[in-house]
Amino acid sequence: MTFPTRRFVYIDGEQNGYTNEVLRVDAGTHVFDLGNVRNYQPASRKVMVKDTTVLEPLEIAFTKKDGG
Amino acid sequence: MSARVAVLACALLLSACASFDPGNPPLATYVPDAGYGFERLERGDNSDGLFVILTFSGGGTRAAALSYSVLEALRDTTIEWEGRRERLLDEVDVISSISGGSFPAAYYALYGRKMFDEFPDKFLYRPIQSDLIKRLFLPSTWWKLAAPGFGRSDLAAEFYDREVFGGGTYADVIARGRRPFVILNATDMTTGSPFPFIQDQFDLMCSDLAGVSLGRAAAASSAFPVGLTPLTFQNYAGTCQYRQPPWVELAAEDRESRVNPRRTARAENRLALADHGTARRPYIHLTDGGVADNIGLRGPLTAITSPNHAWSVLRMMNNGKINKLVVIVVNAATNPATDRDQTSRVPGLVDTLKAAATVPLDNYSFDTLELLSASVNEFNEDARLVEGCKKLAARNGTQCALDIPAPHHIELFPVQVAFEYLGSAEERAWFKNLPTTFQLPRETIDTLRAAGRRLLSEDPEFKNLLKAVNGCLADSEHSC
Repeated sequence: MTFPTRRFVYIDGEQNGYTNEVLRVDAGTHVFDLGNVRNYQPASRKVMVKDTTVLEPLEIAFTKKDGG
Repeated sequence: MSARVAVLACALLLSACASFDPGNPPLATYVPDAGYGFERLERGDNSDGLFVILTFSGGGTRAAALSYSVLEALRDTTIEWEGRRERLLDEVDVISSISGGSFPAAYYALYGRKMFDEFPDKFLYRPIQSDLIKRLFLPSTWWKLAAPGFGRSDLAAEFYDREVFGGGTYADVIARGRRPFVILNATDMTTGSPFPFIQDQFDLMCSDLAGVSLGRAAAASSAFPVGLTPLTFQNYAGTCQYRQPPWVELAAEDRESRVNPRRTARAENRLALADHGTARRPYIHLTDGGVADNIGLRGPLTAITSPNHAWSVLRMMNNGKINKLVVIVVNAATNPATDRDQTSRVPGLVDTLKAAATVPLDNYSFDTLELLSASVNEFNEDARLVEGCKKLAARNGTQCALDIPAPHHIELFPVQVAFEYLGSAEERAWFKNLPTTFQLPRETIDTLRAAGRRLLSEDPEFKNLLKAVNGCLADSEHSC
């Protein structure tokens, strides 16, 4: 999960680690977001996680909203 | 005489019409962060950095004694952690138990350290089985058993409530409000899935676990098929505005892609139990936890490998809270000798049924332990891979040094306490031929208690753990 600053990461609605760190999650479809301070985009990302490794993690990018 | 028979017959008929008392009250309104759950327990001096999970297998009093001996040994183990000298027992975060192992687990949940003064006489040294059988011959019992909603396990639950747990309920456990989070496990007879006694599970049925007695939970967890009847609980699904967590719908959607069938199955089990439409299940029949998982490790394994769990350990790892994860599996499985193969005679019905009931359980336990090893190896391999790549790159000069981001590193200590690890073949055979019963001679209990302590102290991973935390297990000859 990448974002310009360190933020809480939410996976399937639960706080789960921080941005810009490698997080573990089991295979399957998950929804990722950065919580209720909505100064980021997209609002959430629904991603099917599979076939990742520690050397080839899946990158899920969030950016700052204009003016955020 | 005939008048007495008529009175008795009427009484039995009336009792058969008696209303069913499920022993699990409804939940008025679903509140996500209420009831018996891991997050709601006070941590106290128990750190998250050293996270300790115990699992207690089934196996009647044999399992209860072996599990109890491990609790005693952890009480007598001192460690240095975060600048303090403390007992390893005080770092135990979760206990997941099955059947016979559920009795020490439940007692510890209710009474904490008082168990070391009381539990041996209250349970271990007591002829529970004889006491239960005696109750079957009381006329007042026939009256109760004549009701279709009351079985032998209900009778056992009443006995455990009164004689073992002093009428304690989950409300008392919640009131204690501290770790470890103790999870007694039964099996949903219809789906074959584990049924943990935690509020997250009871929320699905719109039922309040606080009103359930520990005796009833232990009776469900130890309702060994045939000998004991399943226990029936009422499912009030649809009456409390329950909402499934978001992952359930996502995992159910993955059915077609088959990306993670285990996660999908967990989601579908939740949906089925909470269904209040046409597929509604108004009653849930619970049998021995060993039918689904005889070592109580399935729940902890899911907690370690998935963020979608009521007490996800993976979530805590991702948050960088856990540095050392200890999983102590106390497995009282036996392998009784048989003369079946000494004759050409076709094995009889009882022998065949017994094999059919126990062999798959043991095979499944073996696979579950393999899964634990696989998970531990995966975590360790990830760490080694990252380190290896960094070293390889660094050989080409500091300009080639790699900064590979890696998940938070944790040290894992999978400890096993099981008779198969006893060194002496003779001793191993003796333990592996102990019966599964709720009544064992005092000397046998004492031998089991000594063996459990020894098995723990000799386990290579437990030794590694003690080294890592400057720990020491006191024995009769050495104090720490």
